[in-house]
Parts: sequence; C-alpha cells; structure tokens
Amino acid sequence: MNSKVKMVFTYILLGVATVISVFPLLWMVIAATNKSVDVIAGKLTIGSFIVENYKNLVAQQPLWSSFLNSCKYTVLVTVFALIVSALAGYAFEIYRDKAKERIYGVVLMSMMIPFVALMVPLFRMYSKLGLLNSAIGFMLPSLATPLLIMMFRTNAKAFPVDIIEAARIDGLSEFGIFFKMYIPSMKSIFAAAGVVTFMNAWNNYLWAKVIMSDNTTQTMPMLISNLISGYVTDYGMLMLAVLITTIPTAIVFFALQKNFVEGITGSVK
Amino acid sequence: MKKRFVSFMLAAVMSVGLLAGCGSGKEEADQGASKGDENTLTVWAWDQSFNIYAMKEAEKIYQKDHPEFKLNIVETPWDDMQTQLGTIVGAGNYSKLPDICLMQDFAYQKYVTTYPDLYLDLSDSQIDFSQFAEGKLAASTVDGKHYGVPFDNGTEVACYRTDILEQAGYTMDDLTDIDWNRFIEIGMDVYDKTGYSLLSVQAGSSDLIYQMLQSAGFGTWKEDGTPDIAGNENIKQCIEIYQEMREKNVLAVVNSWDEYVATFTSGKTAGVINGCWILASVQTAEDQSGKWAITNMPALPGVASATNYSNQGGSTWAITSNCKNTELAEDFLSATFAGSKELYDTILPSSGALATWLPASESEVYNEPQEFFGGQQIYSLITEFASKTPSVNLGVYYTEANMALATAVANVSGGSDIDAELKTAQDTVEFNMGK
Repeated sequence: MNSKVKMVFTYILLGVATVISVFPLLWMVIAATNKSVDVIAGKLTIGSFIVENYKNLVAQQPLWSSFLNSCKYTVLVTVFALIVSALAGYAFEIYRDKAKERIYGVVLMSMMIPFVALMVPLFRMYSKLGLLNSAIGFMLPSLATPLLIMMFRTNAKAFPVDIIEAARIDGLSEFGIFFKMYIPSMKSIFAAAGVVTFMNAWNNYLWAKVIMSDNTTQTMPMLISNLISGYVTDYGMLMLAVLITTIPTAIVFFALQKNFVEGITGSVK
Repeated sequence: MKKRFVSFMLAAVMSVGLLAGCGSGKEEADQGASKGDENTLTVWAWDQSFNIYAMKEAEKIYQKDHPEFKLNIVETPWDDMQTQLGTIVGAGNYSKLPDICLMQDFAYQKYVTTYPDLYLDLSDSQIDFSQFAEGKLAASTVDGKHYGVPFDNGTEVACYRTDILEQAGYTMDDLTDIDWNRFIEIGMDVYDKTGYSLLSVQAGSSDLIYQMLQSAGFGTWKEDGTPDIAGNENIKQCIEIYQEMREKNVLAVVNSWDEYVATFTSGKTAGVINGCWILASVQTAEDQSGKWAITNMPALPGVASATNYSNQGGSTWAITSNCKNTELAEDFLSATFAGSKELYDTILPSSGALATWLPASESEVYNEPQEFFGGQQIYSLITEFASKTPSVNLGVYYTEANMALATAVANVSGGSDIDAELKTAQDTVEFNMGK
C-alpha cells in the first residue's frame, strides 16, 4: 500500500515536470499556427494561420537558402569536429610522450578563454587570410574543441590497450586501428559528441554573424534574429521560423537519444 | 614543478584573454564593401517592413536616373550591428564596413565620439541639412558637423481608444494640451467607470521618464558631459508622476515588450503614449479600426519650459569611412532621403515611415484621413508635433544612463527612496563612464 502511494506521488511529480518541459515546445507549435495578435493575447488552441505565416515568412526572408546554409555548415562542422577531436583524444590517451600532459593542460585551459575575447583577433586573422564570408571561416574555430577532446580522451581510457597491441602485431596500421577498431567500439560517445557539436554548430550565432556579412551566407539563427529586430514583430511568423529551426536538432537528438545518454554517463559496453 | 607549470600557464591564458580586447592600427585590405563594382553600394539596416523597405524604394527612385545603380542591402539587426562595428573597429580592418549603415539616433554621439574616423562628415556635401527638423538633426550632429542623413521620426504621440473614453464621459479634447495631473484625474475616473488603465509600460524601462523629461527640454547631462541624475528635481518629479499613476491604476506595468504590445492590441488598456512608430503595432489590431485617435502627450505640471511634445527613438543613415564611392553615396542620399517627395509619399502609406525631411510634409499624402484613427489626418498632425519638440542632448552615454534610470524606477516601485536611488544611478553611470 505504502509503495503504491509513493508511486502515485512519483507519477504526479513526473507528470508536472513533463508538462513544464513540454509546454514551451507545445506552445511553439500552437503559436506557429496563429496570427501575431492572437499569439501575444495568449491563445492556446491551434489556429488556421500557418499557411499565411509561411507565406509571409518566405516573402520576407530567404527561408530555405538559410535553412540549407545551416544544414551545410552544421553537417560539415559536426563531421570534421568529430574526426579531429576523436583523433586528438585518442592520441592523448594511447600514445606516450613527455610533453603530452602539458599540452593537454594547455588544451583544457583554453576552455577558460571566453569566445568574445577571441573574436577580435580571430576576425583579424581571418580577414587577412581572406576567409570572411566563407564556410571554412565559419567552421575552423569550432573544429577542435577542448570539451570534445576531453570527452574522447576519457572514453579512450576504457579502450583495452591489449587489443591495440594485438592489432599492431597482426600488422594493422595506426590509422587502421583508429578507424577499424576504435571508432566502431565507441558508438555511444560519438553519438553524444555528435549531438553536442551538432547543436552548438546549428545554434552558432555570434561568430556566424561577425564573419558572415552577406545575405547569401545567412543561417537560421540570423534569420530569427532579423525577425525580431523591427518596430513590429510578427509573432506567428517568428514562431513558425523557430519551429522550422528546431526540427533538425530535435530529429538528431531523438535519433541518437539512447546513445547520447550512454555517452554522457560514460558507460562503454 | 607540475604545479608551477600549471599556474604559469593559467596566468598566461588569462593575460591573453585580457589583451585580446585591445585592437591595433588600421590596416589596408583588398576586400572592399562595394566589391569593386562602382555602381553598387552596400547597406546595413534592420527591419524588412520599415527601414529596408524604405531603402529598396529609394533604390528604385534613384535607378530611374541612374539605371546602372544597385544596392546590396544586408539585413543586420541593431544589436548585431554593434557587435560587428565593435569587432571591425577592434580588428582595425575598416574594409569590412558597408558603404551606408543605419544608426539608432541615441547611439550616434557615442559612435562618432569614440570612433571619430568611422563615419564621414557630410557637412560639405550637396545635402541640404536646413531642410530637416532641428530636433532630429541634433542627434547626428557632433561639434556642428553633420554625420548622417536623418530618416525615421520618433515624435511622441498619445493614442486613445475613443470608445472607452466615451463610456467614461470624455472626448479627445479633454486629453489634448493637458498636464500629467489632469491626465491622472481622468485616468482614475476612466479606471473607476470602465476598468481600463489609460496607459501601460514595460517594467524595467525608463523610456517614459525620458519622454517626460524631453517634453520640457530636460536631459540627464550637465554641460560638461557629466551625469546630472543625483538630486535632479526634474527626474524626481517624473518618477513621482510615474509612481502615482502606477498606484492609482492609471498606469499598468507589464513584464515584457510583447505583453506591452498586447495591452493595447488585445484591448486591455485604453491608451498608448510612445514614439509614433508604435502606431504600426497599434494598427495590427484590425478589429479596433476606427476606435483610436491621436493627440499630443501630457505636459509636466508646474514647469516653465513644459511642452506637450517629445520624442522616442528614430534612426539616421550614415556613410562610413570605408565607402569607395562617396560621391555616389552622397548623391544617392541627397536625391532620395534628403530630396524626394516621391519616396516619402510611397513609403508613408504602406509602412508608416514618417519623414523628418520637412518638404515631404507638404505633400497631399500627409493630409489623407486615416480610417483606423477615425478619419483623423494623423500624419500632418505628427509632423506638426515634430516641429514643436524640444531638442535635447541624449549624451554619449545614453544607454548607460537609460539602464541606470530604469533600475532606479524599478527599485522605487519596490519601495526604495527616490533620492537614494538617483544617487545610486549617478554612481553607476559614473562607474560605467570610467570616472
């Protein structure tokens, strides 16, 4: 009996927590279907204005080219960041070198420099290299991130050294070991790191805005920012843009959810 | 040994972080804003349905005589523009600047004073600055030099719901040319009879206080540029009026900008007092068409210099020092924003962008009755208000003073003493100014 009461309370508590976390998402969907006036009046039922909102949005902003830009940059950043950081994390753990720990210390300490402080020197460097308004310029600063390197290094600890030695004796090259043995056994950490990188890259705004000062390179976060900069904000249209921007991250997260939790908690099968 | 190494690296990293903020000399680079095309100008501006729309119409008009002319308009919200300008100036690479950029009037003094080589001095160009409203022109004028072509108008308007006023037994005439004491009397009566507050504001904003101050020609700065907040009787009077209105339900205080807009679009308050650009938001409530009317704002009571006119916001076009074809940029602006009635006639009805270029107001479009406002000729009325608005120096540190005052207003609402809060505000502004 006692345990049943406990269960009831647990479910009520969980129910409340669920409503609190899901409501903003639900409201976003509802708002995207309503007129601006209704959105700010707090209407909570699905409206019939979504087509109108979409037409207004497309008429005012280059929606799909911004969406494609976002997809392009995000996928490239995620793929390259995973390769670079996984290689770095693996090397830090597997290979022996005197200076290794010191370099690792420097890498970790670079986490302490706020990006805002790096922005001006980076901008200066990139403008000299002619990388402004380019995909490479957008991607480079986020390819090697200390957080990912740390994640990969911690996880590489769990990778048995014996297997590496056995593989070496059998004549597999070092890259072969990394790509054919290490990567396949580290799926969950790749999923976790992938989700984190994908979200960061997708939502990257500050650097994107500084380096991309051209309409053709606009990404989704910039588009949303444009929508709220005027004297009058069309909230229905805005929420539709937010909804469209949220979908890819939601898909990626839900697809990799199971692995993500495993990767973050650090369990390796 | 290891520990020492770690602390050394820590110190190194932190000092890099500190130094990173400092920029250095200007550099020449090959990428121009105009991308080498002599007939294309790059423009940074925000707001598709207002500023950018106006720029596109200006482009069309200029193209009639200059068919090869083109604009490359990059949509850049004001907040981002500040980040970008800061980065570009910090990196010393002016070649990334656009040819023309839109500036908020309240930030002009700061940018021109802090970065004297950022914008071109247009005083000697063919642009006739005598044709602009004086109060508006003051924003982009530093030491007698003109640094921009004034664009949109922030003249203060008071709009009221005539149907609600009628229920309480008032007409628009009762709210015209009044002072805040009378406004509070009427407001209390309207609240008692109808349950509507007469006015709303966003909590944590000092805009209303600034509007009241400017209506009597008061600012927040002394002659020498130091803040004049602590012990300033005028500011104190404005905050007292604000508090009285709040306590007597004449003024509804809401938490965010969208709630503020909702108070009048969804019919929770009977009036709005703000810069005339707010009319675009008022008009989104199509179901209230014909029920609104505008008049001038209440004046400060017992003040010799009090008027019923003020200003909130507005923006100005600037030509940057990176402009490769200044002749073209100047000619374009002088032929459009400083010389085309046709432009203002086009943009007024469709976007509500009111000119500060005086000859435009002679046009017939400005005298057309507006159905939403019960057939009132609101545009000619606002233009008349604009010509009567006292000019005030908003100062280099407007943003800092505005935020400090907003905190003071919020704290006074929470029960703090006004004098003590104004003293704190003064200290905060002085601290931010590095004094």
